[in-house]
Amino acid sequence: MKAFVRHALWFALAALVMGLGGGVSAQESTQSWSSSVIKIESTRHQYEYFQPWSRRTASNNKFGVVVHDQRIITTADYLFDQTIIRVQKGGRGSWYEAKLQWIDYHANLALLEVEDAEFWDGLQPVRFADPIPTTGEARLMRWNDGRLESRRLEINRLRLGRSALSYIDLPQLELDSEVEGVGWSEAVVVGNQLIGLTTSQARSKCSAIPSFLVQQILKEVDQGTFRGVGFFNFYWKKAENPAALDFLELPGQKRGVIVTEIIEVPGHESVLHPKDILLKVDGFEIDIVGDYEDPSYGKLMLERLATRGHWAGDPVPMTVWREGAMVDLMFHLPKADYRSEYVPSANYDMPPEYLMAGGLVFQPLTEPYLRSWGGEWQRRAPVRLVRLKSQAPTEEDPSCVVLSAVLPDPYNLGYQDYRYLALDKVNGHKVVDLPGLKQALESPQEGFHVIEFLPGEAVSKVILDAPLLKDATQRVMFNYRLPTDYVVGEVDLP
Amino acid sequence: MVACSSILKRIFLHLLFVTLFSVLHADDPEKSVIQIMTFSQQPDWDEPWNDSRVRGSTGSGFVIEGNRIMTNAHVVSWAKQIQVRRFQDSRPHLAEVAYIGHDCDLAVLTVEDPTFFEGLDPLPIGVLPKVRSVVNTIGYPAGGEQISFTSGVVSRIELINYVQPGNRSLLAVQTDAAINPGNSGGPVLQDGQVVGVAFQGTPGLENTGFFIPPPIVQHFLKDIEDGVYDGFPQAGIRLSPLINPAYRKYLKMGDDSASTGARVDTLVSDSAKEFLREDDVLLEINGYAVAADATILYEGNQVHGAIAFSQAQHGQSVPVKVWRQGQAMEIALPVHVNQKDRLEGNQYEPPKYFVYAGLVFTPLSRDYLTTFGQNWSAVAGIGLLYELFYKKNAEPGKARKEPIMLSTVLSHPVNANMEIRGRVLVDAINGHRIDSLEDVIQALEEHDGSHHLIEFGERLGFECLDRQDADSANAAIMETYGIQKDRWL
Repeated sequence: MKAFVRHALWFALAALVMGLGGGVSAQESTQSWSSSVIKIESTRHQYEYFQPWSRRTASNNKFGVVVHDQRIITTADYLFDQTIIRVQKGGRGSWYEAKLQWIDYHANLALLEVEDAEFWDGLQPVRFADPIPTTGEARLMRWNDGRLESRRLEINRLRLGRSALSYIDLPQLELDSEVEGVGWSEAVVVGNQLIGLTTSQARSKCSAIPSFLVQQILKEVDQGTFRGVGFFNFYWKKAENPAALDFLELPGQKRGVIVTEIIEVPGHESVLHPKDILLKVDGFEIDIVGDYEDPSYGKLMLERLATRGHWAGDPVPMTVWREGAMVDLMFHLPKADYRSEYVPSANYDMPPEYLMAGGLVFQPLTEPYLRSWGGEWQRRAPVRLVRLKSQAPTEEDPSCVVLSAVLPDPYNLGYQDYRYLALDKVNGHKVVDLPGLKQALESPQEGFHVIEFLPGEAVSKVILDAPLLKDATQRVMFNYRLPTDYVVGEVDLP
Repeated sequence: MVACSSILKRIFLHLLFVTLFSVLHADDPEKSVIQIMTFSQQPDWDEPWNDSRVRGSTGSGFVIEGNRIMTNAHVVSWAKQIQVRRFQDSRPHLAEVAYIGHDCDLAVLTVEDPTFFEGLDPLPIGVLPKVRSVVNTIGYPAGGEQISFTSGVVSRIELINYVQPGNRSLLAVQTDAAINPGNSGGPVLQDGQVVGVAFQGTPGLENTGFFIPPPIVQHFLKDIEDGVYDGFPQAGIRLSPLINPAYRKYLKMGDDSASTGARVDTLVSDSAKEFLREDDVLLEINGYAVAADATILYEGNQVHGAIAFSQAQHGQSVPVKVWRQGQAMEIALPVHVNQKDRLEGNQYEPPKYFVYAGLVFTPLSRDYLTTFGQNWSAVAGIGLLYELFYKKNAEPGKARKEPIMLSTVLSHPVNANMEIRGRVLVDAINGHRIDSLEDVIQALEEHDGSHHLIEFGERLGFECLDRQDADSANAAIMETYGIQKDRWL
């Protein structure tokens, strides 16, 4: 009896909280969300980088919500390399084919459209909360076995964190949850308003993209003004050690953070210097731990100021203390772009590139390739290749190609154990990509192809017989069932 | 390697040996087999002014010419006291290390009491045993107090990594003898002669024990004749197979030589750079024909050609026949002991360090990294592994002679606000690039600015210390943490 009373009280309290939070009852709220939460099925290529000509497919279910103009917004995760996307409303019944209208992997957001008008019958666009609450209770909404599952979440805080598919930091809503299997773009709601889309879960903590960011990006996309997400391409350290500020001769109160290193981005000239004390960004004072006082959300890390009303290419005013003087400068936000990395973090929507010559398989060095070594790839992959992840690209040396494997053939006898070797030159030409390699192989030296690897590799050089190369390549393609000897760019295999 | 205190750290080393007393030919060779008890103390690379607790371990040895005992280096590494006992004699005698060769895992001991050797015959050193022949071992393995006799067959003979240095490969003999911890350093006998010194096994493999064969033992004994142990020299080259027909044609090798000659892929040492060229083809080393897979036929065994270079003593020249640009030529190639990769292997000297204002600086070495725990390579991360093991070959112009770590920061108000608390590589101090511990000392002690600026690699930025505060705090920190000397160089 006592337990019954206790449960009844809890239910009453929960109903009261929901009523206060959203102005509607829990039941009404759930019912209204059933016309906005969509189940998404994404089927996509799964590439095997150790055999880049291999293809497999995999399907995943995730979620999205209806937004204006008959579209669905969801996270970009698991929509890369997709072959078909289907959507389902009401958690059961017919599936409808959907198309990607827009996707941005750094922002981790995508918009889907569905041509079949029948799909949109009865669906309602969501309302975005702005500002969002940063404490209190929220609910997670997703379809589960034909019913809309509504589960309790506790809002912890708004913080900056690494975007799920990128190397940039974006605002994230951190939530406590006892629910399992979260992170598939489930709707996080308070009352009848969306406050976020989930992106990941680590034990009882899960993260969500806050709805204000979704809303801002959506608005820019609708206006055709979205230029991509910008970021601060520099590292900084806290100025908690007063000796560091004294050394840099900053007068007055301890404040600001110290720039320690600039990340090279091709085509971007940074106006910041190492040992600058960053005092003000976009009009906000920076404290010694790197936070500013956000008008809506209180203390947030300064990286938020790269996306707070700004996009790639925008100027952001900054004030720094440099060599004994206050300096005002204008920082232009570089665009987050995998192609600007020496070893790209990702190459979504592209099959693995490769060039096979005489059984020697060459591939661009990318993080997806390194991830082929498994979950602990940073420890398991060859040290020299992993080390190249931290190399800054230059105009002359923007990227790297590796000899990833040798498919045994009489032509390459003696080389069959060579693999994971970073390429330097071919026939005297510096090689930084596969088109360059292909071109270099067109100019053999006195009947030989001279393939040189970077200093420190297990072997320095390989020699191939140039006149015999074409026949050997054809033979290897036949024997190992390769559909082609050259895949570059977004073109898929024949 | 069982026996010595370094064993736990290097679990690969074991002992060997198996019996068959009845087939021994020499008269009572067991009388010349010595039991060795070592009390050792290793330094702590993380807090290099401290030592580990004293550990006791046992090993084996045998009497050789000159009233000396031969054993493994690992049996007596880090020894504070060595006791030796004769066969069936419980009296301990104090012994000392006369010579120790960590690269070949051999050591020679002398005994204070000259009567110790009375009645003991030195065991003669024989020749490399044949594969499939039976060998017998004697020693004091764990599992009992008395001497133990075992036997096995010579399984194969080849170049293997010696665990004692960790980064050296020399000739070794594999037997199918069971491996028992405890009698490292004991003799392996055949026809009354020593044909090896038991030294290590391979965890996870059954019936595989290894012993150090006579060519290595004789080289060591020859080396110490001048009173100094130099070590095994290397050619300073990386030799690659030359099998591919196109490569052979490229180097103008005729079709009739299809199975001979290996390619000089990389020149590492200065003397190699002076006498050889990349893409030289080594046809012969020290009279041994070099096969296309970079092996030679040595005493009936196909082994890596590097063996032929290690037959020479440090500083000697080895005759090589080279094919260069279509012509054969003879070259006398000087070979030297490689000292440049010292930090990459196991070291047997107290670690260098310098303490200033609670900041502990010590060289980056394999020994230091192993203080990170059993999973040390994963904990260390790519940056430190690359700096220690790869950078000198990949970026010789940027590599440091002796990379220096800020290993820890001993907390004190003068450094309490530092964000970085250790385990980071030092890039520069007060504007001076740090290439050695001496650079650290010089950069800190000769600086007269108001602050010290310590810069780190790997995107870690820098830290600052108020110089006057740091100077005045130094003595108190030393006292608080019980550090007697601020440096060990």
